[in-house]
Amino acid sequence: MPDESTILEVTNLTKTYDTGLQAVKGVSFSVKKGEVFGILGPNGAGKTTTLEMIEGLRPITSGTVILDGIKTVEQPYVVKQRIGIQLQSSAFFQNLKLTELLEMFSDLYGSTVNPMELLAEVGLTEKASSLVKNLSGGQKQRFSIATTLVNKPVMVFLDEPTTGLDPQARRNLWELIAQIKKRGTTVILTTHYMEEAQFLCDRVAIMDDGKIVAIDTPDELIKQLLGRGFKPNVEVPPATLEDVFIDLTGKHLRD
Amino acid sequence: MYLLISPENTYAINMNQTTRSFLALTKASLKMYYRNKGAIIFSLLLPVALMSIFGFLSKGGGSSLKISLSNHATSEISKKFVDVLKGVDAFKIVEESEETAASELGKGNIDLQVIIPEDFGNIEDGKPVASNVQTRFNKGKPQSGQVANMIITQIVSGFDKRLTNSQTVLDVKSEGVTTNNLGYFDFILPGLLSMTIMQLGIFGVAFSFVSFKASGALRRIQATPVHPIYFVFAQAVTRLLVTLATATLLVGLGTYFFGFHMIGNYFYFTIVAILGILIFLGVGFAIAGWAKDETQVAPVANLIQLPLLLLSGIFFSRDGFPSWLKTITDYFPLTYVSHGLRKIANEGADLTQIPGDLIGMIVWVILVYAIAIKLFRWE
Repeated sequence: MPDESTILEVTNLTKTYDTGLQAVKGVSFSVKKGEVFGILGPNGAGKTTTLEMIEGLRPITSGTVILDGIKTVEQPYVVKQRIGIQLQSSAFFQNLKLTELLEMFSDLYGSTVNPMELLAEVGLTEKASSLVKNLSGGQKQRFSIATTLVNKPVMVFLDEPTTGLDPQARRNLWELIAQIKKRGTTVILTTHYMEEAQFLCDRVAIMDDGKIVAIDTPDELIKQLLGRGFKPNVEVPPATLEDVFIDLTGKHLRD
Repeated sequence: MYLLISPENTYAINMNQTTRSFLALTKASLKMYYRNKGAIIFSLLLPVALMSIFGFLSKGGGSSLKISLSNHATSEISKKFVDVLKGVDAFKIVEESEETAASELGKGNIDLQVIIPEDFGNIEDGKPVASNVQTRFNKGKPQSGQVANMIITQIVSGFDKRLTNSQTVLDVKSEGVTTNNLGYFDFILPGLLSMTIMQLGIFGVAFSFVSFKASGALRRIQATPVHPIYFVFAQAVTRLLVTLATATLLVGLGTYFFGFHMIGNYFYFTIVAILGILIFLGVGFAIAGWAKDETQVAPVANLIQLPLLLLSGIFFSRDGFPSWLKTITDYFPLTYVSHGLRKIANEGADLTQIPGDLIGMIVWVILVYAIAIKLFRWE
C-alpha cells in the first residue's frame, strides 16, 4: 500500500509500439509528495515514453499509473487538469505574446492567473509583450515552465528542461526548479546531465534500455558504487571546467 | 489515434468550460492570423491581380461580341426583342440567314448564332405561347459564346417576366432589361471567388495546421485538459471568417472598380460561398491531418488544386471539353461552387433553382470530412 506521502505510483509500466519495438519494459517506482524526482538515462532509454504514459499523452500497453489517487488510464483529462507538462520541444504558437499565451492556457484549465506575476516568477517581466518567436533558448524554456504553472499543479513534468542551454541559462533554470519545489509542488524531470541530477534531485531512477537499473538518492547511489570498490581512473580535480567557465564569464544570464 | 472524445473522458466536459476553451483558442487563432501579415498579403495578391487583369480587359470594350441573328418570327414582341439585343453595348449584331450564320460560326467569324423561332411572342387565348430562342456558339471560343449566351438568357427571362406578369404584351419595356448589362467580368468574378475559396481552404489550412503539428504546438494543447479537436474547430472558424472577409473584399473591389453586377441575392450567394469554404477547409484539414510536415503538404495540395483550377470551368466554359471530360468535371467540387455562384450572380437564381449544385456541395462536405477523420494523425 502506498503511504500518505506518495503522489505517484507507477507499477509494471510497459510500452510496445505497433512496429513491435518495446520502448518501456516493466517500470515501477513511486514519487513522494514535494520531492524532485529525476529519471536519468541515455537517449532512447525510454524516459520520454515513460513520462508521456504517466501524463496520459501516450496510450499505455500494460501496467498502472496512479497519480494523486487517480488512474491515468481511466481519467486522463482529470489527471491533466491537476498536472503541468513541459514537453521536450518547447514549441508554442510563435505569433502570440507571452501574456496572451498564459491567458489562453489558463482559459484551457478554467483557472485564473495574473500573467505578470507568473512572468515575474520566471524572470520574464520585460518580455511580457514580446512574441514567443523572439525569445532566446533559455527564455523559451523558462516561459515553457511558466505555462505549466497556470493551473497551480500538484506535480510538474519537465522533459529535458536544460538540454541545449548555455551554462548560465542552465544554472538559472536550476534555481527556478528549486523555487517550484519550495512552493510544495512535486517535480519529476528527465535529464542526461548527471551534475544537474545531483544538484536538483532528491531521488533518481536510472533507466537503460526500457528498464530501471537503479533507484535511490544520488548520495546513496554514489556510496553504493564506491562500496563495490570503484576507483575513478583519473584523479578528479576539486573543480570542473564548468566551474572555470562560470568563474570567468559570471553567473548572469545572457539572453 | 482517437479523434473524438471517448465516453469515459466526457465527464470533464462542462459546457461553460468548453465554451471558454473554444473561445480562447479561437481568439488565439485570429490573433496569429492577423499577425502573419506576409501570408495575408500573399493570399490577396493573386486574386486581386487576376481580377484587375480581367477587369481591365473587359473594360477596354474593344472586343465586342459578334452575334448573327436569324429572326423567323413576325410578332411585335420579337421585334422588341431584336431591338433590345441591338441596344446591348457589348453586342455587334448582323441579321442574316441561318445557313450563312452557321457557316460564319464554323469559320470562327462570329461568337454566337441566335435563332428566333416563328412562334416567338405569339399570343393564343390571351396567353403567350411557350417558345425557345435557340443559340449556338463557337466551341473554339467558348468564353465569348458563354458570355453572349448569358446576356441573352438574361434578356429573354426579362421578357418572360414581363409577359407573364401583365396581360398586355405591348407593355414590354426595353429599358427594364438592358440595365443588366452583363459582361465578361461578371462571368469571371464568381470564378475568381471560387478559386480564392479553394486556395485559402487548401493552402491556408494545410500549411498553417501542419506547422502547428510539426512544431509540437498541437502536442502542447494535448498536454492540457482540452482535447485538440477544439483547436481544429477554432482554426476552422478562423479560416471561415477570414475567407468570407476576403471574398467580401473581392466583391467590393469588383463592384467599385469594374462594375460587377449582382443580379441575384447576396444572402444566397453567401450560402453557396460558405458551403464551398467548408468543402475546401475539409480538404486542407485532410491534407494537414495526414501530412507529417510542410514538405509533404505542397505536392499533395498542388495535385488536388491544379486539376480543379483548370477543369472546373472557373475562368472559361467547360462547353469546349470532350463529352467524357465534361461528364467527369460535372462532379468536381469547384464546378458546383462556381456554377452555383454564377447562377445566382449572373442569372438571379435562388436556392431552389440550383438544387444540383447544393446537393453536390453537401455530398462533398460529408465526403471530405469523412476522409479527413480517417486520415488524421495527431503527431
